[in-house]
Amino acid sequence: MRILLVEDDAEVGRFVKKGLQEAGHTVEHVPNGREGLFMAASENFDLLVLDRMLPGGIDGVRLVETLRGQGNHTPVLFLSALAGVDERVKGLKAGGDDYLVKPFAFAELLARCEALGRRPAVDAPATRLKIADLELDLLSRTVTRGGKRIDVQPREFRLLEHLMRHAGQVVTRTMLLEKVWDYHFDPQTNVIDVHVSRLRQKLDKGFDKPLIHTVRNAGYMIRAEP
Amino acid sequence: MLHDAGMLPRLLLALSVMSAPSRVAFPAELRTLPQDLHYCQELVARLATLPAGVQQPARGLGEEGELLCRTGHIRTGIARLRRALRVAQGR
Amino acid sequence: MSPPPHPRPDLAPHPRPDMPHAVPLAAATRRRGQHPGPLWQLLSSAGFRFALLFAALFLLAGLAFTGVLWWGTAGALDRQIDAAIRADAMALAERWRDAGDQAVADAIGERLALDAENQTLYLLSAPSGQRLAGNLEALPQGFAPDVQWYGMSLERDGIPGEARLFVLPLPDGSRLAVGRDVEEKLRLRALLTEGLAWSAGVALLFAFAGAALLRRALERRLAPVTATAALIAGGDLSPRVPLSGREDEFEALGHSMNTMLDRIAHLMEGVRGVSDAIAHDLRTPIARARNRLEEALANADDPAALHSALERGIADLDNVTRVFQAVLRIAEVEAGARRAAFAPVDLVPLLEDAAELYGATAEENGQTLRTEWPAALPLTGDRDLLLQALANLLDNAVKFTPDGGSILLKAELLEDAIVVRVSDQGPGLSLEDRERVGERFFRADSSRNTPGSGLGLSLVRAVVQLHGGTLWFDEGHGESLDKPGLAVCFRLPLA
Repeated sequence: MRILLVEDDAEVGRFVKKGLQEAGHTVEHVPNGREGLFMAASENFDLLVLDRMLPGGIDGVRLVETLRGQGNHTPVLFLSALAGVDERVKGLKAGGDDYLVKPFAFAELLARCEALGRRPAVDAPATRLKIADLELDLLSRTVTRGGKRIDVQPREFRLLEHLMRHAGQVVTRTMLLEKVWDYHFDPQTNVIDVHVSRLRQKLDKGFDKPLIHTVRNAGYMIRAEP
Repeated sequence: MLHDAGMLPRLLLALSVMSAPSRVAFPAELRTLPQDLHYCQELVARLATLPAGVQQPARGLGEEGELLCRTGHIRTGIARLRRALRVAQGR
Repeated sequence: MSPPPHPRPDLAPHPRPDMPHAVPLAAATRRRGQHPGPLWQLLSSAGFRFALLFAALFLLAGLAFTGVLWWGTAGALDRQIDAAIRADAMALAERWRDAGDQAVADAIGERLALDAENQTLYLLSAPSGQRLAGNLEALPQGFAPDVQWYGMSLERDGIPGEARLFVLPLPDGSRLAVGRDVEEKLRLRALLTEGLAWSAGVALLFAFAGAALLRRALERRLAPVTATAALIAGGDLSPRVPLSGREDEFEALGHSMNTMLDRIAHLMEGVRGVSDAIAHDLRTPIARARNRLEEALANADDPAALHSALERGIADLDNVTRVFQAVLRIAEVEAGARRAAFAPVDLVPLLEDAAELYGATAEENGQTLRTEWPAALPLTGDRDLLLQALANLLDNAVKFTPDGGSILLKAELLEDAIVVRVSDQGPGLSLEDRERVGERFFRADSSRNTPGSGLGLSLVRAVVQLHGGTLWFDEGHGESLDKPGLAVCFRLPLA
């Protein structure tokens, strides 16, 4: 992916740029909103990573509003030191697609970047999701593996659906809480882990090849290869 | 108090302007004929023609007026004679 | 900077050498803004402006009153005189038509002879202008044939006066003038004018006196407010506006100011609480992380040890962040800023979500989570905060209930409130601990070994208070004496 990073803190900028490059992405880094707006408007990017508070008169929110006003719909991920719920709502209302509060684990940022950059096309909703021998029927809301029906609860179905829509990508615990449960808070304990491991048990029971993998220090990933 | 002194004349001016509409046309000098002894005698003669003029109290008033006229108090005398005439006419 | 050789007249005078530069400048600005004297002070006061307004209204009302009075007295007199003059003139004109000049002259003589008040004016003049009868010398100066009414100065036996005169042209070209001496009316007018001038002067005096009084009254009533504001501006937040007990606007002002000050004090306390909390509970994990990293540096030869030390350092920092976020969130909730985000919300789906979220964990521990609530629990509130409060309570309950135990999550709808009860079978809380729980970072000694920041209940309490509710503790449903369990209950009013 080609990513534009607009971040005024040189150290954070360097850290994020290096990490994203190591993950195989091309990164352009500019330190202020003015240059960021210029770059974003004149070149093509798959994703914009914006600090919310930027020097130079144009902050992250203004930048996104301007871009959206010009019909530019490049996905935007906000990085912000402002953790208030209202701040998050403000960022998303302005046209941001995701909001990550500083300080953050790099794995979280990477997972969210990849989820945003490779979002499934909205206009062609799939009715079936498939990975290896696991199949998800979105219409009848059934799960089968190797032709054998697996009983899951509605929440587990949504959890699996989210993982499968982002197959091959890391999905973090907070992303799951936000996207599957639609809550924005820190649950402190490993509630999500328990749900994932229960789902994993149901899927892998009787099969020798696990599908849901734990990514150390990051989250979970569903993929065919071990 | 400074204001007091400034406001009062202005107020008076406003009041005098307000009372002006009683003047209908442009002002002009008007003069009455002087009231003299001759007019006194005319009134005395007029009183004498009235039947009630020779009775009291008109007669007393008339004599008093005539006396006043003769001693030089024409205005007062005339007023007294006119009152006598009114009384004599029963008004 | 040396002074210029020829100072321009518009420059401020040079400061005396012993004075610092800024002082005379500041004094000059202050002098310009300052009121020069008591008169200016009076003029610039709101009380004075009020009084002036009332004085103006008073004067206006007085003028209206005078106008009516004038119209009713002097005006009526005028009209009456005019009517009498006209009637007299008409009667004489009638007689002229019937009997000619001599009859009119006789009538005029008769009328004059009876005029004891010496007020009537008559003149009959021939077409040539010659006087035929009457007590006027001639027609008025500036007489115009088409003007009938005249008001003019009169000289009667050498005494100046004012006359009202009606001139009627007769068919043969002679003119008949009938008039009245209106000296009386002039006197009345002068009297009215004088009276009005006096009363205007007195009204003005009253206005000034009233202004001074009103100003003093306003100042006296506002003095406590001003004094309190000055004290607070000086840095002491504790004084409040003394209330007089009268139920007026000043009382309302003082009251709302006190409410505002209470709120500000509360917020300041919150800020102080946050800084205390940060000082208290963030130092420890930060110090721990620092120590660990330092230790790792010392043992840098062993890559495995270094690796694990770094990982634990990151985990420590994550914990610091978590505590920090929790403290900020509590402060945000306590400040009441989120009340703007309140919306109608049903508590039931939140209870279901919370039970589902933590039910899995409970099941994992061999605990059972029993739930009980009606079909709908509508209220107005903040969905995210309410869920977080429920999550925190369930998190605690799951943490403290022994394996194999049970947890009870119950909610009921009362007439005017919703009561939620989260009960466990853990060690419970002693009575004195119940007093202190909910203070930030308080952790009962018995729970020192369980993970957690000690902020969970603080947040729950803040959320409940934000919703206007109350939080209390009760015995849980523990089965043994050493583990009586704890029930955390809260009540959310519906309105």
